Amino acid sequence: MNFEKVMFAFFIVLALTLNFGFFLGDIDNPDHHHAMELGAALAVSLIATVIKFGDRSQMGAVLLATSLVADLQLLLASFIWAYSAYATDAGVTGEVVASIVSLSGGALLANLVSVTILVAETITIRR
Amino acid sequence: MNDIIWLTMRRMRTPLIVLILVYSFSVLGLVMIPGVDASGREFHMDYLHAGYFIAIMATTIGFGEFPEVFTAAQRLYVFIIIFPNVIAWLYSIGTILSLFLDPQFRGVLHRTQFARRIHWISGGFYIVCGFGNTGSMIVRGLMKRGITAVILEREQEIIHSMALEDDISHLPALAGDVTDRRLLELAGLRKDNCLGIMAITNEDHANLTIAITSKLLRPELPVLARSETRRVSANMASFGTEERVDPYTIFAERLYLALTSPTKYLVQDWLISVPGSELRTEMNPPSGRWIIAGLGRFGSRIAPQLEKAGMPYTVIDVHPDRVDNREGSVLGRGTEADTLVLAGVEDAVGIIAGTGDDMDNLSIIMTALELNPNLFAVGRQEIKQNDELFDTSGADLVARRSLIVARRILAMATTPLLRVFLSHLVLEEESFARKVKARLETVLHGRAPNLWMDDLSRETAAAISIAAKEKVVIRLEHITHNLRMEKPEKLDCVCLLLERGALRLFLPGPRQELLEGDRLLFAGRGSARRLIRWTLTDPNSLISFATGRQHPRGAIGRWLARNHAG
Repeated sequence: MNFEKVMFAFFIVLALTLNFGFFLGDIDNPDHHHAMELGAALAVSLIATVIKFGDRSQMGAVLLATSLVADLQLLLASFIWAYSAYATDAGVTGEVVASIVSLSGGALLANLVSVTILVAETITIRR
Repeated sequence: MNDIIWLTMRRMRTPLIVLILVYSFSVLGLVMIPGVDASGREFHMDYLHAGYFIAIMATTIGFGEFPEVFTAAQRLYVFIIIFPNVIAWLYSIGTILSLFLDPQFRGVLHRTQFARRIHWISGGFYIVCGFGNTGSMIVRGLMKRGITAVILEREQEIIHSMALEDDISHLPALAGDVTDRRLLELAGLRKDNCLGIMAITNEDHANLTIAITSKLLRPELPVLARSETRRVSANMASFGTEERVDPYTIFAERLYLALTSPTKYLVQDWLISVPGSELRTEMNPPSGRWIIAGLGRFGSRIAPQLEKAGMPYTVIDVHPDRVDNREGSVLGRGTEADTLVLAGVEDAVGIIAGTGDDMDNLSIIMTALELNPNLFAVGRQEIKQNDELFDTSGADLVARRSLIVARRILAMATTPLLRVFLSHLVLEEESFARKVKARLETVLHGRAPNLWMDDLSRETAAAISIAAKEKVVIRLEHITHNLRMEKPEKLDCVCLLLERGALRLFLPGPRQELLEGDRLLFAGRGSARRLIRWTLTDPNSLISFATGRQHPRGAIGRWLARNHAG
C-alpha cells in the first residue's frame, strides 16, 4: 500500500461525497442545504485539484480538468450565497438556493467523471 | 477546380447566349403589351412579374398563376414565345447533361477530386504506381500499419473495380499514364508528407521512368522500384534508387541461403512473413546435383548461386545458345519424361522448374516427381491465379513473383531498420542466427511476428525523457514488461536492433540502457506493441517499475518524497 495513492483517491472521492451531500434535498428549500457543507465541498475540491498538479500519466490532464470544472462551479455557488446573504436585503431566498444547488449539481457531475476515471484507471492498471 | 469552371463555361457559351436572347426578348414583349386588370383598367406588366411568368413558363413548371387574366393579345404573344423559350431551355439543359456525361469532363472532375483528397491527407503516404496483385498486397499491408497510399494505375478498369472493395475504396486512386510527370505531381510527389514512391508496374521501363522522374523532381524522396532485368536494375542504381526489387534475384539469394545455412534462411523467412501466418519449419534442401529446367531470367540467376554453394547442376532449355556451352546440358522443354531422364533426373537431388510458363513448370514438377519422388522441387509461378495449382503440385518451394516483391517492398517501406538487420544476419556467424532463432521461438508460438519500430523521441516516448530528468536509468527490460499487471510479465517480443546515431546494437540484452533518441526494432505479437507504446507514454508506471518504488504521481507527492529521502 502506498500512502500517496491513498491520499489521492481519498480526496477525489471525498470531494464527490461532500458535493453529493450538499446537493441532496429539495432544490429551493434553504433548510435542506447547509452553508458549511458547501464550504467543505469547495475546500476538499480545491485540495483534490492541488494533489492532481503535476500528474504526467495519460489520464492526468483529464483528471485535472474535471477538478478545475468542479472548483469553478462551487466557487460560483459560494459567491452567489455570500452575495445574497450579505449584500442583498432579501437574503438567501428559495430562488437563490435553487440556483446555488443547481450549480453544485454541475460540480457533482464533474466530480463523478473524475471518480469514474480514477476507478477505470485502477482497473486497467493492477498495481 | 479552375479546369471544371473553364470547361463548363466554354461548352455552355452558345446555349447560354441563346437562352438570354430568347428570355429577354420574351420579357420585353410581355412588358410592352398592355393588359386589363380586374376593374377593367389598362395596365402594363412590370419586369418582375413578366420575368417570373416567363421563367415558370419556359421551364414548363407552370404554376398556373397569372398576375391578371390575360387579354387575347397577351395570350397570342405567349402562345408564340412558348416554343422558342422551351426549346432554348431544353437546349441548355441538354448541353449541361451531355457535359456531365462527357468522358473528358468526368476525367477533369475526377482529377480535381483526386487532387483535393490528396491535399487533405494528413499523415504520411506512399505513391503506389501500378495496382496489380503486388500493388494491392502492398497497399493493404501499408493500411494495416496505418499508412495511406495514393494509387496510380494505367488500367481504368482496375480503378473502377477498386470501388467494390470495402477496405480500399476510400483511397485516392487515378487511372492514367503512370509515367507522366504531371500525374505524379498531382498524386502529391511534391508534398512534404509523401514518404516515397513505389514503382511496381509490370513493365520495367515504366518503373525506370517513374524512378528517374521522381529522383529528378525530389532527389531526397526514397524510391522503391521493381525491376526484373539486370540492365534496368543497374540503370536504376546509377541514379540512386533506394531499393531495386528484382524478385528472381531475391529468390535466388534466398535459395542460396537455404542451401548453405538453413537457420539463417528460417529466421529471415519468419521476419518477412505476413504477420500471423503459420511459421515455416526447418527446410533442408539437399546437397548434390540439381536440374535447372529453363535458364531464362529466373534460371540464370539461380545457376550462379548454386555454383557459389558448390552444387553441380544440369541445364535443360529450349534455346540452343543457352545449352551449347554447358557440358551435359540437354536441349528440350523439360516437360517430357525423356528430356528429364536424359538430364539424369533419377540421380539428381533437386529440380528447378524455371520456365516463363506456369503450366510448363507444373508439368515439369509433376513429371520429375513421378520419375524420382525424392526430388526437392522448386517451381516458378508467374500468375497469381495459379496459387492452388502450385500448392497441390508437390513443389517444396514456390517462387511467387508478386508475393516476393510485395513482401520486400512492404518490409522496406514500413520498417527500414529490418534491412539493416537482415543484411547483418546474412553476414554474421551461424551462431548469431541460432541465437535469434532461439529468442524468437520463445515468443512467437508458431505464428509469424509483427515487426515495428519504436522511436524514443520526446513526442512518442515522453516517459523516457521524464525518467532521464529524474535521473532514473531505463533499461530495455523495463519497457518489455507488461506494467499494467501487479507482477509485470514479460511481453512476447524480441528487440532485434537498437540504433543510436551511428551506433547499431544487434540483439541488445535486457540490461541495455535506453536513451532518448534511440530507435528500436521489435519483432513480436501485436499486443506487445500496444503495451510498449503505452508504457512509453506513462512515466509513473515506468519509473515505478525501474526504481522498484512507487513513483508519486502528483507534484506535491514527488516533492515530499524527495525531501523525505534527503
